[in-house]
Parts: sequence; structure tokens; C-alpha cells
Amino acid sequence: MGARRVAVTGIGAVSALGNDLEAFYRSLAEARSGVRRLPAEVTLGSGVQVGALADWDPAAHFKGPEAGSLDRATQFALTAAGQALAASGLDPAVADRDRIGVYWGTGMGGAHTLDAAFGSAYGRNDFRLRPLSVVMAMTNAAASNVAVKWGLRGPFANFSTACSSSAMAIGEATHAIRAGRADAVLAGGSEALLSPVILAAWQAMRTLAPADANDPAASCKPFDRRRGGLVLGEGAAALLLEEESHARARGARVHAFITGYGNTCDAAHMSKPDRGGQVRAMQQALAEAGLAPEAIGYINAHGTATIVGDVIECEAIKAVFGDAAMRIPVSSTKSMHGHLLGGAGALEMAVALMPFKQGVIPPTANLEQPDPACAVRHVARNAERGAIPQAVMSNSFAFGGSNVVLIAQRA
Amino acid sequence: MQTLDRIKDLAIKELSLDAGKIDPNAPLADLGVDSLTFIEFMFKVEDEFGVKVSDQDLRGIKCLADLERHIAASLQTAGKA
Repeated sequence: MGARRVAVTGIGAVSALGNDLEAFYRSLAEARSGVRRLPAEVTLGSGVQVGALADWDPAAHFKGPEAGSLDRATQFALTAAGQALAASGLDPAVADRDRIGVYWGTGMGGAHTLDAAFGSAYGRNDFRLRPLSVVMAMTNAAASNVAVKWGLRGPFANFSTACSSSAMAIGEATHAIRAGRADAVLAGGSEALLSPVILAAWQAMRTLAPADANDPAASCKPFDRRRGGLVLGEGAAALLLEEESHARARGARVHAFITGYGNTCDAAHMSKPDRGGQVRAMQQALAEAGLAPEAIGYINAHGTATIVGDVIECEAIKAVFGDAAMRIPVSSTKSMHGHLLGGAGALEMAVALMPFKQGVIPPTANLEQPDPACAVRHVARNAERGAIPQAVMSNSFAFGGSNVVLIAQRA
Repeated sequence: MQTLDRIKDLAIKELSLDAGKIDPNAPLADLGVDSLTFIEFMFKVEDEFGVKVSDQDLRGIKCLADLERHIAASLQTAGKA
């Protein structure tokens, strides 16, 4: 596409690794996991032992009764979005808000709100449901609250494609800015699914890792031959994406450019990933960025730590990158922040940008015995510090067969 | 405790209203309470007093003083006053 380049001028993140970007990056650099044993009131009879639960006090972020009218996922979303906006220095009050959009992603929206409603109705036979239940639970609740909070009246979209939702939001937002439909878009995603019924549904799929016997924080082991499945997380992340000249005109600091977006569907199976679909998504993103595979200097893998998924992703990476797959650092930071599902793509894009900002490549924590079937160039256990890459890739592969790949380049 | 005081206490707790600024005769909107939030508040009032407030009754309640009159009447009818 033409001359309109899309800059990242602000980043925000909320997760089990902390409630702001600084804490998040510090934890990643120190390979500190946010995975822990879930308290009894969160897991109830679901059988799920561990999760990456955010240390979250709504009263610290919202005044008075406001938090009570926002689902936990929306609370995360507003907080991450506010951080991204503040970090960008873009003041919506003096900007043309008709030209600023919101593109968001979430898997399930306000799951806690639904959980509470079902509990009231089925559990206590009390059908006096909260009048705000609908607007708190709807999947666009987070996106709409972000738009309302800052009066962002430009293009608006909400994506729900399971684990690729917020990566898709970033990719589509990038295209919207390039197409001239907006000067800036607050793009990201959020998820808060650590509630008993949702946990039980995940447990029923038999894809969740049990607690590590010695160290619950080490329960998620992507690419390791001992891996036992994914660990669910929660939180949100947001990027303030901005057309380059708009950012330059106000003297904003540009962290990176989003230059490549691949989007394909396996069209094969609801839960089993497909190498071909992943390969095509990575190739699309590279083609859009105009980069050869070896130009990528870090890959933030989808790497959920499922038995099947990790092998297929590594095969796909090898198919795309050839010999370079043994040179390009790859890590799955889900080992620390857990799987944010609809919020994963945005949070992991924030991770992928970390080498640009800090010169640090975050590791796959707990990777001690690499599975020979996952032979790529792992950043195992500890972060690496060295040359700052020129380009990075982030993979998001979802249930339902959606594959989204994003590429960012150094500013 | 008087009915109005119990309603005020509940409003302070559930609606985060400032104790010193609650005017029982002020329209609810002036207290910063929107209609949906007030419906939720009514569930708490129902539980507190053990009475039912129908949607029709709700339409006639514009301020906390209206609510007090309605609750007092309901309690009297129910023989609880």
C-alpha cells in the first residue's frame, strides 16, 4: 500500500504480570510467571488448579459505583486503553475525535456478568437480574466503553474470533488507517474468563495444564516435552495506532510500525490447528510487509503448550522460514502471562514490541527439556539481551481455525 | 431506625452517595442515579424491607422521599409497621 504508514505511539497492558506496561515488561525480562494456584472461590468444582489471575482491585482504578457497572473484562480494557492513550500523549480533548477509532477483540465479552446472572437465576431462583446485564455482557461492551470514555467517534469494530480476536483488531485497524478512514485507532483486546463455569468448560476439553507438582508458577511449559496443556490468563492490552504524519506532526514518540498482517482460516476443524493455514498467514504478513523471512528478528509464538498445537506451529515456522528457523529467536510468553484468549493477540503484540523498546527478547519460561518435535531457535528460560531486531512477528492461532499474524518493524 | 434512615444508609452503601449531600426530595437524576441503576437499587430495598416494588410502583417514585412513602405504605399493608 501507499505512503500511509501506521505507527505505534502508545502501549498499555493489564495481566497477571502487573497492571501496567512497566511491570509487565519487568516480569517478562525477569522470566517471572504470573501463573498461580487458583483460589477456591474462583475454581469451585471445576477441577482447574492453576491460572494467571490478575492481582486486581477495581477500586484502585474506578471511582465510586463505576466499577460495579463494568464487567471485569471491560475494567481491564478501559485501564489498558487509558494507559496506551496516556503513553501516546494524544489528548482526545483537543484531537479530531471523528478521526479516532476503536478496534477491539474479545472471545466472550462479559463472562463474569453472565456467570452472575445464571447463578442468580438457576442457583437461587432469583430472576431479578441486573438491568445492566445485557450491556455489561455483550461482546462489544469493552469496545463501546472505550469509545464512550474518550469520545472516540471514528471507525469502530469488534472482533470475536477466539484466540486471534485482538490480533485481528490490530491488523484491521492498521488497514483502516492506511485506507485513510482514521488518523488513529485505539486497538486491542480484553478477556476475563476465570470463573467457575468457564473453567469447567475448558477443563472438559482436556486442554488445560495441571499444576506443576513442585512449582505452580511453572505449570505452563510451551515446547517442552513435559508440557501438559495451556494455562488460562486474563487481562487486556491496547495499542494506540496512528498514521505516521499525524504522529510526527504532534511530536509523538514512535515505538514501531505495524507493517504486515496475515489473516487466513484453516476451514478444517474447530479445535485442531492446521499447518497450512498458519503457513499462509505468516506468508501473507511477510508479503504485505515486503520482507524476506530472514528479516524477522523475533517471533512471539502462539505457543499455548498443548501437545498438538506446539508441534504444528513449529512445523509451520520451519515451512515458512526454512533454515532461518534455527536462527530466529522464538518464544511463547504464555508460559508467564497465561493464555488471554481474545486478549492474547494484543498482549503478545505488546510483548513482541518489547525488544524494540528495551533490547530484551523475553523467554519461554519453564522450557528445560525442548521437545525434538518443536525444533526451532528457542529463547529458553531466560531473556536474551543483544542486538535489537529490525522486525518482529506475533502469531495468533484460534479455535475455529482463524490464523492471524502481525509484523512490526523498528521505528 | 426510621425507614428513611435505612433507605439513606442503603443508598450510601449501594450507590456510593455522599451522606451529607442526600436530599430526600431531590430528583434521583440530580443525585447522579440513572434509571437502570435505580432498578438495581430497588432489589436491595426489597431485600432490606422484605417488600415487593412493582414496575408500576416504580414509575411513581422520583426521589428517596417517594420511596420512603411507598415502603411505609407497603409495610403497613403487610402489617409489619
